[in-house]
Amino acid sequence: MTLDPESQQLQRRMKRRRALSRGLIYFIAIFISLWILVPLYFLGSMAFTDQASVRAYPKQVLPLIPFSLDTMSFFLKSHGILKGLLNSIIVAIITLVLSTLIAAPAGYAVSRYFFKGRDVFRLSILAVRAFPIVILAIPLAVVFISLGIFDSVYSLALMHTALTLPTTVLILSSVFASIPYELEEAAMVFGCTPVQAFRKVVFPLVLPGIAASAIFTFVMSWNEVFAASVLSLQNRTLPAQVFFALSQSSEAYQFAGGFFMMIPSLIFIFIIRNYLFNMWGQVSK
Amino acid sequence: MKKSKKPASFNWTPYWLILPTLLYLAFFFAWPMFQALKLAIWEDNALLRLKDSVNSSRFTVSLAQGTLVDIIKDETVALSPEELAGAQAGIERWYLLEFTGDSGPLQAWAPESRIRLPENTEAIGALAPVLATVRSKIGSSDPLTSVYVSPDDNSEVISKLAARTEVRVVEGVGLEHWYLIHPKNTPNKQGWASANMLQIYNDQSARIDRGNQGQFTLKFIQKMFNDRFFRPALLTTLLLTLLIIPVQFVLAIIMALIIQSRIKGSGLFLYIFAIPLGVSELAVGILFFAIFTQNGLLNSSLESLGLIAKPITFLSADNKTGIIIAIWLAEIWRATSLVMVIVVSGLQAISDEILEAAEIFGAGLWQRVRFVILPLLKPSLQVALILRTILALQVFAVVVALSGGDVVSVLANESFRQYSDLRNYNVAAAYAGLILLISMVSAVIYLRTLRAHEEAGL
Repeated sequence: MTLDPESQQLQRRMKRRRALSRGLIYFIAIFISLWILVPLYFLGSMAFTDQASVRAYPKQVLPLIPFSLDTMSFFLKSHGILKGLLNSIIVAIITLVLSTLIAAPAGYAVSRYFFKGRDVFRLSILAVRAFPIVILAIPLAVVFISLGIFDSVYSLALMHTALTLPTTVLILSSVFASIPYELEEAAMVFGCTPVQAFRKVVFPLVLPGIAASAIFTFVMSWNEVFAASVLSLQNRTLPAQVFFALSQSSEAYQFAGGFFMMIPSLIFIFIIRNYLFNMWGQVSK
Repeated sequence: MKKSKKPASFNWTPYWLILPTLLYLAFFFAWPMFQALKLAIWEDNALLRLKDSVNSSRFTVSLAQGTLVDIIKDETVALSPEELAGAQAGIERWYLLEFTGDSGPLQAWAPESRIRLPENTEAIGALAPVLATVRSKIGSSDPLTSVYVSPDDNSEVISKLAARTEVRVVEGVGLEHWYLIHPKNTPNKQGWASANMLQIYNDQSARIDRGNQGQFTLKFIQKMFNDRFFRPALLTTLLLTLLIIPVQFVLAIIMALIIQSRIKGSGLFLYIFAIPLGVSELAVGILFFAIFTQNGLLNSSLESLGLIAKPITFLSADNKTGIIIAIWLAEIWRATSLVMVIVVSGLQAISDEILEAAEIFGAGLWQRVRFVILPLLKPSLQVALILRTILALQVFAVVVALSGGDVVSVLANESFRQYSDLRNYNVAAAYAGLILLISMVSAVIYLRTLRAHEEAGL
């Protein structure tokens, strides 16, 4: 194929422009990645070195400073941390189970049925999602005190379920919506009852999505600090414990604690990264 | 893929399916919300309801706490054991004693204060006889204790007992004094009140000490407005929201466009961009504290590069700007991911044909973004904007981690301080209500203005 010199030149210029814009995209992408990763790397370095390197100035990062579990074990052995860790895990697991069990039917209903009040239900769920936690935590604390269930991991889990439920409903409804109804219909044509069709066809397909949503619920509960601080005194979760110790603790404690709290999210976001848009797609529609 | 399974008859199934969610949210969301708003504008026990007689259940008037009242007369009633269990202060106990008098066994009443009972004798009503002794009187002209014919110290004195006389207690009663009162100079507003609600000055006058009825009040909201942290907290919150949101949206759209450009490695970029989505607010606060603290990452790297001679103090009480910048960067670091994810979902809904068509007609990148992508993204942006504004109004842990919560404060932090340090639940609820109000107003404004633009565009 021969082209006149003018169009060849045009094609070359187009190519060059493409390469240039691609280079620009990479440049910006790497710049933003560094903006996110460099602070994390610094905090990670501080968490996994000896305490002398944490106190040193100017501070350096791994591998310029010795790798050591000293700082991290200092943090984990500090007062209330292991108990807080255990509490955090208990609260997050109860929240995850409750929230998924309650939200799954609602998510299914919203994605599968047209019913009167469906839009109102979705809108109010969205509104609840956006409500300030601050508002809920304080009256619930007053209520819990009067009911005598204040300062317990179970009451905190009830609160966290209320906070995560709307998000879980929205996420699960988009997970169910991604499974075509025709599959269920086909199963019923072949003689399944609706319940069987759900159990044998839909359930295996949505299981990864439900798992992703459950992980996200876990992370939300794990991270939550305001309600946890308001609703507990002795039975603090990890973030609440770190929060209250913040002003009287050493930098080694703070840095190791900060990084330790991030670890689950670093892992979990990696696991569920492909579900993120699936999860949030529904929110904006 | 939304289909009704049985369009012909009314289908209750979806309602059963959403019922658990509705119930849960009603109990753990709507009800506490209602309680919260009530806490802010409702003062429990602000008023004392006066009865039209001691044993009646009808009320005459309600008087505010602190009112000075005149006492017209008083009356004593015996409480049943159930009433006594629920009663608080102001109860007088009397005991019926059996003892050997000059002319044989006698029975008479004495007040609790005059009898030394074995410990844990709280019972009221007929008792299996309990041994007790009469207390000695100190500093009184009459060393003997009077015992009465009925449980009332105005009744007839049966006998006088010496200190340490052994007696048997056979019955106990709980007495409550009631007073017929009216506010000073307004004798027509009269009614009965029990002694434990009053602070008695003398036989004629008293002050209403406690109440038993709630009342609407603006007191707590006023207290919030008058708090010295209120104005700075409000201004900082609004300022932070204004600073955070625009930068966040520009950055989020750029990040979303990078993900959507499908360059090699966009999966990796997606993961990196999404990391902050799962990181807790407190951890981000600590992260940025590690950067900006005096011997933190920023000073360390600047000094290693030879740009500064000695560390700069970014986070100190007299460098509010530094703290606000640190909070601003921390919030951008943390919450841009959420906007990005929503924007990417929105972008995925825009068909490639439209973008290709725009490209074929010679639209450059900027033109495509400005005239094609942004208008089509409007619904997603609207949701993201509302969500982010509301969340920005609630920044809390980041602020505490970076400023200690004193130097720079925000509304959520003030609410927490009122709750946790000052134990002022009502003012804390007022702050929470204010955050709710600002959130709602801003959501309505976004919905209105974005819709108005839409209509203008048509």
